[in-house]
Amino acid sequence: MNLNLKADKERTFDAIVVGSGMTGGMAAKELTERGLQVLMIERGREVKHIEDYDTAMKGPWEFEHRGKVSIHSAEEYWANSRFGTLANEETGEFFTDDKKNPYIEKRPFDWIRAYHTGGKSMHWGRQSYRMNKKDFEANAKDGIAIDWPIRYEDLEPWYTHVEKFVGISGQAEGWDVLPDGHYLPAMPMSAPELHFREKMMKKLNRPVTIGRIANLTKPQPWHTDLGRASCQYRSKCARGCPYGAYYSSLSGSIPAARKTNKLTVLHDTIASEIIYDEKTKKARGVRVIKQNTMAVEEFFAKIVFLNAGSMNTAALLLNSKSSRFPTGLGNDSDQVGRNIMDHHLGVGASATVEGFENDYIFGQRPNALYIPRFRNWGTDKKDFLRGYGYQGGASKSDWKRGITMNGFGADFKAEMSQPGTWTMGFGGFGEILPDPSNRMFLDKEKKDKWGIPMIVFDAAFGENELTMRKDMMASAVEMLEAAGFKNVAGYNRLDTHPGLGIHDMGTARMGKDPKSSVLNKFNQVHDCKNVFVTDGAAMVSSSCVNPSITYMAMTARSADYAVKELKKQNL
Amino acid sequence: MKRRDAIKSVALMLGGAFSAPTLLAMGRWEKGEISESSLFAFSLTDNQKRIVAEVAEIIIPRTATPGAIDAGVPAFIVMMLQDCYKTPEHKSFAEGLDELEKKQFLTMNNVQKTELIKQVEKDSVEQMKVYQVQQTKMGDNEDREQMAVQAKGLPYWRLMKELTLLGYFTSEEGIKSSFDYVPIPGKLEMIKLKPNQKSFAY
Repeated sequence: MNLNLKADKERTFDAIVVGSGMTGGMAAKELTERGLQVLMIERGREVKHIEDYDTAMKGPWEFEHRGKVSIHSAEEYWANSRFGTLANEETGEFFTDDKKNPYIEKRPFDWIRAYHTGGKSMHWGRQSYRMNKKDFEANAKDGIAIDWPIRYEDLEPWYTHVEKFVGISGQAEGWDVLPDGHYLPAMPMSAPELHFREKMMKKLNRPVTIGRIANLTKPQPWHTDLGRASCQYRSKCARGCPYGAYYSSLSGSIPAARKTNKLTVLHDTIASEIIYDEKTKKARGVRVIKQNTMAVEEFFAKIVFLNAGSMNTAALLLNSKSSRFPTGLGNDSDQVGRNIMDHHLGVGASATVEGFENDYIFGQRPNALYIPRFRNWGTDKKDFLRGYGYQGGASKSDWKRGITMNGFGADFKAEMSQPGTWTMGFGGFGEILPDPSNRMFLDKEKKDKWGIPMIVFDAAFGENELTMRKDMMASAVEMLEAAGFKNVAGYNRLDTHPGLGIHDMGTARMGKDPKSSVLNKFNQVHDCKNVFVTDGAAMVSSSCVNPSITYMAMTARSADYAVKELKKQNL
Repeated sequence: MKRRDAIKSVALMLGGAFSAPTLLAMGRWEKGEISESSLFAFSLTDNQKRIVAEVAEIIIPRTATPGAIDAGVPAFIVMMLQDCYKTPEHKSFAEGLDELEKKQFLTMNNVQKTELIKQVEKDSVEQMKVYQVQQTKMGDNEDREQMAVQAKGLPYWRLMKELTLLGYFTSEEGIKSSFDYVPIPGKLEMIKLKPNQKSFAY
């Protein structure tokens, strides 16, 4: 008996955080810094900052296939490889083997996962934009889905809080569509990009800014205190940065949480169920399965933060059945797993740039230009709802231009050693509307190798997205032509599916009414108030801006609230 | 239950709603035999290997700096075809080599070889157009994965040129002799080109 009590004590924390990625890391940091003993549960293997970045300092010749994805690897990483080549030899360590972790597609879904310490924060695109005031009002105004229970003003101080900690390089512009945050010095634009920006403003009244990116251009003391240094402009971020120059859970939030001596991290530990206590009407803790030994264990806490990534967070809720919640914890509304959103992409245009022959760049900018949403904004009105932003830029062509041009031999070889002409291109990120029929659910029979029901995806782009895509291509062409560039070619890849934006979200949305939403305005599960969901699952609409900084702001806000409620003994 | 049966039963349970590519994708769970066949199906005769080496060296010859052979490009090309390309490309590459063999490439003098390669390059322009039309037609067709297996691969010349340039300009010899290799730039600056300035490589 005593032994059991002792064992239970060792398994009891103030808070459990499920997931170590973008929001799990932030939850752990905010909770430990407020004095809580936190257990972080990560389903994948442990990655140690810097020492496990095996490919970070390799030369191009040290990769057998030189960045191309082999057939064998494409089969292992089939969801990753269906469209892109992210999971290649340079960065494959930070993506998940789809063959070993299969899922079911009723309709195709490009599910890109990252099962290891830091999750997708290891390979994220680092673009960090605040949602604007109208984004939070859009659903109510358009009569789409449900209204956000919060407004921009609720998140504003938390955006500031996380932006300062993360360290974002960018330019404040004073535009309503893209609210300014707290920025480190902006990265420069190249000569053709400056030309492009000027033409866009003069001819089309469309603003262009440099990307707002979570790479340190001028580290502040709180960054260097964590061992983070300035960007070295190698643009090899996704291999893991040995300088800690880009923000990830590994370079930022987890070291910050560890400094408090209040963080315990378990790896190779899959959260399978949230344990619900029918008497207290609260969660008691989390049941886990050790991924390598299959051992089942339980851990207990006063509060539980779910940050497993939108799809796995929803799956965990759905798999947590009790007499009170027979269809899954917090699923009274039947909205858990529904309203999957993402950003649709793979559409844009490219062109060749004449002139600027003598302009060149030293160093590789790990960043691009950003063209904020201009559609259905101000007086603009189109035949679809919402809008999109573009990311892209100019680059001076290198030896790869030789692949498609004629020529070979000594002169050709010499020519390829010098830079060629400039090219410019950009692609869109479009808002996806919430639709309850875009969903994931647990298969009734088929289980994964840990006995957890497999996830089934049943989602697709809707009419609004498909209509928007045509405009995304046409406007990209229009802009490159307006800049006076040549050989303008638009593209609209139809072989993309939801998920590919790796901004999958919406599967446990916030809302004012428990009948139509899963979470309240502080990200608490309705009717199970000590469970908080602060990853992308909480999103009510998707905006068109990259979402991570919003997730992190939401997490910090929610963690602050949770600790205050704990102190008031409301949880 | 075998995986194939399990997949089928899941498909039935869900009302047979899976699209063809989805079923194919699900089939990847058990597709070990396909990757193995594609891995071992491609091999070259000694003569063909000699042609690959000579053509690579014609594309990137040894000058004051190392050439394709110095940089190990011929073996790289064969390895890449085995590892990263499927049957359609294996076929089109082999066809291209056959053509060169028929024309007695290996017994030609250097001028004749260069002329023949110029012709091959010229012919490939039309082949690339045909290839691109085929790819566009496949588009987002439900059966695109099945179609891709039967489709014509990238033309020989395109494969040969792409793999030669990739193999050379990403090799240690190629990078260090062709470019200004700066693995850790440490800063980002917009600059003006100096006369005959080499590209930076990172």
